[in-house]
Amino acid sequence: MKNILVVALTLFFGMTSAGMAEFKLDGEPKIAFIFHGAADNAGWAESHNNARLKMEEALDTRIAYAENIPEETTKVRQAIDLFISRGHNIIVGTSFGYGDAFLEAAKQYPNVAFLNAAGTTNHDNLESFYARTYEGWYLAGMIAGSVTETNKLGMVAGFPLSLVNWDINGFTRGALAVNPDATNSAIFVNTWYDPVIETQTTEALLEQGVDVVATDNSTAPVVTAERYGKKSVGYQVDMAPHGPKGNLTSVLFHWEAHLIPTVQSIIDGSWEPNPYGAFVGIKEGAIGLADLSEIAPADVAAKVAVTHAAIKAGELTPFDGPVLKQNGDVVIEAGASLDDGQLWGMEYFVSGVVGTMPTGL
Amino acid sequence: MEGFLINWITTFPNFAAPLLLACMGLIICERAGVLNLGAEGLMVVGAMFSVMIIYSGGGILLGVVGGMFAATMLSLVFGIAVVVFRADQVLSGLVVVALGTGITGIVGRAYTHKPIQGIEKFDAGALGDIPFIGRLVFEQDPLVYVTLFIVIAGWYLLMRTNWGLRLRAVGEDPATADISGVDVQGMRLVAVMISGALCGLAGVYLAVVSSQVWVEHMVAGRGWIAVALVIFARWNPIRAIFGALIFGGAESLTPRLLAIGADVPVYLMNMLPYAITLLVLLWPYIRGRAASSAPSSLGHEFLRQDRH
Repeated sequence: MKNILVVALTLFFGMTSAGMAEFKLDGEPKIAFIFHGAADNAGWAESHNNARLKMEEALDTRIAYAENIPEETTKVRQAIDLFISRGHNIIVGTSFGYGDAFLEAAKQYPNVAFLNAAGTTNHDNLESFYARTYEGWYLAGMIAGSVTETNKLGMVAGFPLSLVNWDINGFTRGALAVNPDATNSAIFVNTWYDPVIETQTTEALLEQGVDVVATDNSTAPVVTAERYGKKSVGYQVDMAPHGPKGNLTSVLFHWEAHLIPTVQSIIDGSWEPNPYGAFVGIKEGAIGLADLSEIAPADVAAKVAVTHAAIKAGELTPFDGPVLKQNGDVVIEAGASLDDGQLWGMEYFVSGVVGTMPTGL
Repeated sequence: MEGFLINWITTFPNFAAPLLLACMGLIICERAGVLNLGAEGLMVVGAMFSVMIIYSGGGILLGVVGGMFAATMLSLVFGIAVVVFRADQVLSGLVVVALGTGITGIVGRAYTHKPIQGIEKFDAGALGDIPFIGRLVFEQDPLVYVTLFIVIAGWYLLMRTNWGLRLRAVGEDPATADISGVDVQGMRLVAVMISGALCGLAGVYLAVVSSQVWVEHMVAGRGWIAVALVIFARWNPIRAIFGALIFGGAESLTPRLLAIGADVPVYLMNMLPYAITLLVLLWPYIRGRAASSAPSSLGHEFLRQDRH
């Protein structure tokens, strides 16, 4: 009887662990990236391409890539199928809009590992990942808040989504931490990539007395601020070459800090994809600032370094209470801080932001 | 409030110029009876090649001319296809968009996000201090004045000269024009190339004046707005000026309202130019005069043996 029980239990647990699908790669690891834009687009795709190059070095392998694959499930599937037919078994996507195609492919190819940046779909062999960009923006906000002379910061952003809103809010709270009089005028341009409208939006901000412009999109706001002799903060890649005089710093992605250990674990068989996706930040080294420019005062740089260390150690988050909305409503009381669920549901501006969250018409 | 209005009005030309240039080119082309849907592709080629030349040290003037020339060459390919070989104009136009996007994506790779010296606005000093209109009239970039000159000159050529009459005749009734001794194909080819040069200049404007940087896809649908603007202007260059100002004014109002923290119905605002175009399209029907102002032979290829 005892033996039967042992056998039954062994079978049961054996089966469940099999059901948990301990992921195993089929054959030699072969990695491929799929980019939404051009690999050198000085933005999102380039930040991933930089990671790709670092991975090639760290893992001592060649990593293939496809560029300009639009966010259409059929097009993404073609790229995935092509790579898999050529023997690739670790596929890294780089777009929110790839989510469905990646989930579909993950179900069809259980022995291929899928990773997707900014995606929202996950599976036994698919893990989406995104970075706590607001941590970098908080640090950038501290610098911007201390160098502004008009106490007016501005930010050119894409769409009113939580992962953009927390950039705006993080930047604002960083500025307020060093300069309680600072405000941040945020404008959504409703595109990820239109330097013409971003330039014109930046000009509109400068007309209002803004003297530090941050870009959540392309380099255009940095270029424009430079032309008008104002300061700027870049994003995604180091934008200092576009604002040699006025660029303070850039908030940078270091995707390799997440991807190298993840791919390593896929290769050695210890990968356990998080069913809610990976969410990495300063602690993992996935977010950071570019070298501060000379116009950032030394005492501010020191303060930023201290805050950076505190975030890294988990002693501080940019959204430690009290967090107030624009209208003064309390989001979270002192002593607590926003959890991940609340971050992903961030559909409001914090106090200090000038601008209105679009709510439809 | 006055400061806001002045700031806003001062930016009208900057928004309107690229639309107006492309629209003017398309009007000439369509007046000759060739439907050119390739504006987006021609603009992107103009933008990329001008930045390429300027970044490589060719200087601004050469950059502007080079951008126009590159777009003209692409339009020549289109012209040969639709005028000489009588390919379908709609499809060929779409091919031009794909070609322009593709060529600039490959060739422009090395020039993406490279800092260039662009064209700045004039500083008119005392003239700029004239209340209300000082900055609007005197403190624009040089290409805005060139644009205005091109459109007025274009209107004069089209409406007040013999050459313009012949060109319009080709667009209205090529057979009759042919009998009268007008070289229909030659006329159409010239019109297509003018549209190429002007769309190219519109792209140059976006890259060298508006954003001072080249990135892929930066024309971002403005070529299509120009196509709509032609219909809005009902193929009349003077009406196109007002159309471009309305389109440009609407586009520049949104970021300015947002910058002062106003609650703006963004999506509704972005839709307005298209909604207005639709209304303008419907207007003749609403008034019961369905006779369209489009050139009668627009989009039809001309074969001499079909002459009636």
